[in-house]
Amino acid sequence: MTAPILYNYDLDENCYRVRLVASCLGVALTLHGIDMYPGREHLGAAMRALNPAGRLPVLQDGDLLLTQTEAILMHLAEAHAPTTPLLPQDAATRARMMDWLAFCARDLGVAAQARTCAMLDAPGDAQALRASARACLRLMEDHMVKQGIRGCGFFAGPAATLADLALFPAFALSRDFNVDHDEFPALRLWARRVRRLPGFITMPGIPDYH
Amino acid sequence: MTEDAWVPLALSSMIEVGTSAGAVVQGQEIVVWRDSSGVAHTWEDRCPHRGMKMSFGFVRGDHIACLYHGWEYDQAGQCRYIPAHPQLEVPKTICVKTWAVAEAAGMIWVALGAVPPPPAEAEVTALRSLYLDAPLAAVLAALPEGFGGTLAGQVPLVTLDTDLGTLRIGVQPIDARRTALHLTVAGPATPDTLLALATRSDAFRLSLETAGAAA
Repeated sequence: MTAPILYNYDLDENCYRVRLVASCLGVALTLHGIDMYPGREHLGAAMRALNPAGRLPVLQDGDLLLTQTEAILMHLAEAHAPTTPLLPQDAATRARMMDWLAFCARDLGVAAQARTCAMLDAPGDAQALRASARACLRLMEDHMVKQGIRGCGFFAGPAATLADLALFPAFALSRDFNVDHDEFPALRLWARRVRRLPGFITMPGIPDYH
Repeated sequence: MTEDAWVPLALSSMIEVGTSAGAVVQGQEIVVWRDSSGVAHTWEDRCPHRGMKMSFGFVRGDHIACLYHGWEYDQAGQCRYIPAHPQLEVPKTICVKTWAVAEAAGMIWVALGAVPPPPAEAEVTALRSLYLDAPLAAVLAALPEGFGGTLAGQVPLVTLDTDLGTLRIGVQPIDARRTALHLTVAGPATPDTLLALATRSDAFRLSLETAGAAA
């Protein structure tokens, strides 16, 4: 079986989500580098042919072409590592994982926008994006405060799932858009647990320690 | 107010061995970190080399290292190792400013001025730290009605008698617009009680900040 191809830009946080999950699943990827900044290659004709939305990541796995981060994460787990503990089998835990994956896809998009606006010249109202991203991190903090009281160290339960790996980059990279970690003690402890998961890898902007 | 007092920076349980975090008290940036033997430290949050925040760095045994260039400081704030010059005996003049630290009643405290007698001990259960976009006076004024209870005591430690138990609250004035509350419950508390209090703390922050935005 040939390895799935990830059209990748190292500084893009959604591409990192895919690399991180693949690494934790033990799934090898073939990386195809795309010059997102300053080259804007993701907006060119060749990449538009793969993803008309002009966004990364894009995953090509045989005949299957996927362009949404959370769908890519689910596919890598289900097709290439179906027995992984990161994909809970119990229905309630799986549903909680899906709830947070949807949060990641819908709500937390502002954090990626805040970061590309601050760092990569993407358009947007930097102040408003920062405020929205901080509000999302507060929701995550409030949830992990309660998870801590329940004796659960991760978002969907006592063990890590794909949701934790999908949520991690937004917190780990928040200093890129000037939201420090001071106000998020429960997320700091959670991030430390994520860093210890087997296969964990970093990206530029996320220090490699612990 | 905070010049010659202990000011709480964090719940003890949230600063694990081998970790660091940033905290601000009336504009002063502080790094709080816990070394491998479990002892907490409160220093100025600035590496003397290039001014990088030490709270971005990492703890290695009984040293904390700066994220930029790996300069390592011992428990007294003295630089001990510069990776780019491994043979160098580091000059004594390279050190981080340190402040007195105390750990009591479930919190880590710093004294930025003259060191007062140690803060009082108490048996508590940690609830959470709550960061509020509101000035200290507005937070204190809103607590009795917003959280529900009777307020007593004085900053930096107030108590709030609620129907779910007595909260012991460490108050950290961050700057003119922001305040942190380190919430603990006096004595033991069940998970159900703590969950109810955590939910109430979310609602308190929302009502306080909504009122502040409308004012």
